[in-house]
Amino acid sequence: MAANDQQKAIGPSVPLRERYLVYPGAPLPDFATSTAQAFHAEDRRDPKRQFFAVVARPGFPTRTNVMRALKGVDNPGLMTMVEWGVMDWPPANRKVMAVIYEKPLGGRVMANMTSEFRPIPEADMVKKVITPMTEALKKLRALSLTHRAIRPTNMYWATAERDRIVLGDCVTTPPAFEQPAIVEPLDSGQCNPAGRGAGTYTDDSYALGASLVMLLQGRNLVAKQDDAVVIRNKMINGSYSALVGDARMPVQMIEVLRGLLCDDAAQRWHVEGLELWLAGRRMSPLISKNEKRASRAFNFGGKDHTTARELSVAFSKNFDAAAQAVLDGRLELWLRRSLDQADKATAVSDAMHSAVAIAADKKPAFDYMVSKVCMILDSTAPIRYKGLNFLPDGLGALLAVTVVEGGDIKLIAEAILRSITKSWVETRESYNPENSMMESAFNTQKVFLERTTIGNGVERLVYEMNDSMPCLSSHVVDEYVIDIRDLLPALNNAARKNEGKGWPVERHIAAFIAARATFDVERAIYELSEGNPARAALAMLNILAVMQWRLGQGGMTSLAGWVAGLMGPAVNSYYNRETRKQIEKELPRIAKEGNLVEMARVLDNPEARALDQQGYEQARHDYAVMAQDIRNIEAGQIGTDDEGVKTAQQIASLISVTIAFITTTLLLISRFFNG
Amino acid sequence: MAKPAKGKGKPEAKGKAKPKGSNKLLILVTAMALVPFSLPTLMVMVCAMLPTLGAALAERGGSRYAWVCVGGMNFSGLAPWLFDLWFGHHTIDYAIHQITGVSMLLISYGAAGVGWLIYLAVPPVVATFTTMTSQRRSVVLISDQKKLLEIWGDGIAKSGMEL
Repeated sequence: MAANDQQKAIGPSVPLRERYLVYPGAPLPDFATSTAQAFHAEDRRDPKRQFFAVVARPGFPTRTNVMRALKGVDNPGLMTMVEWGVMDWPPANRKVMAVIYEKPLGGRVMANMTSEFRPIPEADMVKKVITPMTEALKKLRALSLTHRAIRPTNMYWATAERDRIVLGDCVTTPPAFEQPAIVEPLDSGQCNPAGRGAGTYTDDSYALGASLVMLLQGRNLVAKQDDAVVIRNKMINGSYSALVGDARMPVQMIEVLRGLLCDDAAQRWHVEGLELWLAGRRMSPLISKNEKRASRAFNFGGKDHTTARELSVAFSKNFDAAAQAVLDGRLELWLRRSLDQADKATAVSDAMHSAVAIAADKKPAFDYMVSKVCMILDSTAPIRYKGLNFLPDGLGALLAVTVVEGGDIKLIAEAILRSITKSWVETRESYNPENSMMESAFNTQKVFLERTTIGNGVERLVYEMNDSMPCLSSHVVDEYVIDIRDLLPALNNAARKNEGKGWPVERHIAAFIAARATFDVERAIYELSEGNPARAALAMLNILAVMQWRLGQGGMTSLAGWVAGLMGPAVNSYYNRETRKQIEKELPRIAKEGNLVEMARVLDNPEARALDQQGYEQARHDYAVMAQDIRNIEAGQIGTDDEGVKTAQQIASLISVTIAFITTTLLLISRFFNG
Repeated sequence: MAKPAKGKGKPEAKGKAKPKGSNKLLILVTAMALVPFSLPTLMVMVCAMLPTLGAALAERGGSRYAWVCVGGMNFSGLAPWLFDLWFGHHTIDYAIHQITGVSMLLISYGAAGVGWLIYLAVPPVVATFTTMTSQRRSVVLISDQKKLLEIWGDGIAKSGMEL
């Protein structure tokens, strides 16, 4: 009775994979994030266990690869994800991505980045925080994953007794999307939130280090500082000094904090360092190297800059002025004389000469130059392009979020078309084979972007660069299609709802199929934009038919009806009216069966088409012959033309020869009878 | 090296022409062989069939039917005298007698003239007849064209095919 009463109080539920029930009427703000809502959830098989569901913001790219890997993982430092998937969501009247977690019973550690909470005593840090967090990082690395959402506001007390901390959800947003800049390493922290990318294991270490500082102090020590100020401090004084400042840290903790907050990613602690530290091995704390300061400051934008990094940030905020500073040679001189960095000066000079050598439109060349110079000045910085800051592996998510939010994708497209990522690879201090692979992938994506036809362009790029991006086509956007297997059923539903308006395979659908299909559809995709309505209609049908055949999905009656209604140009591409009538008669029957493969077979039968073409050519010839005959008749040429005269002469000859024969025969007969 | 290619088609053409030439030669040789045995016939025929010979020599163009037409009628006119020669006195004297007589030449030449008349008169008659039947044929053709258009569409008429 009590359970029923509770259910009545929180309203109806929505099932996920037939097992878990999510209650839209029971929100849990304590587990929600700025982009994902949380709701009470239940397991039908075990109603006593406590669960909650995180519902991703509709349309946002999620991390399905991480979901697959973390489902069912039982780790002392991670919330246990028991299920994930797409489910109906009545409040939004659409489908959404939901993730079910076992509920941590002790609540959130830190309500928001400015709030204060009871500091965790140094004595409890190892047991309650560092040990479970080390286990979490170890597990994540074993699964080749990064968490990218380690921050005190996404940490929960696992038990009511508050004896262990677990990390919260990391899969319902793009990597590090909700991370405050202060818990991110310098490169990632300077990026647009969506452009941070999955990063590396040491990015998680850094976030843990920054979180530990807050957990030890019970507050964010730099809460009142602007992100830009914190980043500048990190650049000048190093992350440890920037985040800890004058606060007193327990001596025992300084080593681990310095290790985790080391600005050099190669030296930064990860699991090994933490495990050694937990095992009692003490090492000398890592001291970050300070950025080299110039003997004379470089004045730019009315401010003096003494390090190349600072100048790089300043340049990134004013591309036009930066271009002038580079072109007038001041920067090269400053690097050579004041900073004594001849290699960087040479690189800047090369970039400048390359830009000047381009005879065409100078503006794009100078933009490219400034972007490259920014990367030369700070080789650990993200890619900077006219206000856009991102790491190469975050470009996909950045594009996806911009598209979903209806932002301007012009800058991102420009960055890709101008191969900005190539400059990033060129300006790295050490060679990384992964960068070459990434560059090759970017070259392919650039080709997709350059093609403006259906199935290419920005839409294609969104799906190519984001494996878990749901299809954004207006036909299926409410169905949250992330798997190509769900596309035909979703289109079938759309056909039922929309009564077949427009084309089922429009730009987003075509791009989604092209990016997700494991079979070849490129030829058909190309024909969609070829300009021939009949071939386009057949190409659309063929794409859907191949999908139905490959995925074994029958009974798409509404979709087949929708498609059949669009096959007019394809039917009319047959010359023979009888064939057309026959096909038009067959189409409704095939549509009722929902068989797109059969429809394609009937409409695009090569033998039938060859016969039709052959018949047409014959008819064309016959018609022309008849027309010529008619013209001859009308011109009175029949009988008087060469052929007619010849025939008449033959007749005359025949008459003459016949007379000769008869005469000869009669004479011979008379001779015989007269003796 | 180019010369053999140039004359590539010649052997074939020669091969085709050879039987025709040999036939003519055979006829000529046979005729020459018969001359001692049928000189009277030859004399009569050469004289009486002059219009045919003339027609054959005068006619030009691809279709040569005038000499057949004239020849047929010419022979019809000559036949009674020729038979007299063959079944009566097949001698040179009789042949000369016939040639010198006016009636044979008159009748055979006259018949040849009729042959010319037939040759000239039949084509206009045939043309008139063909015109009469072609009106009917035109209606049938238009009807067939309509049927083709119904089955294959206007494209077959607009395709610009010229014969």
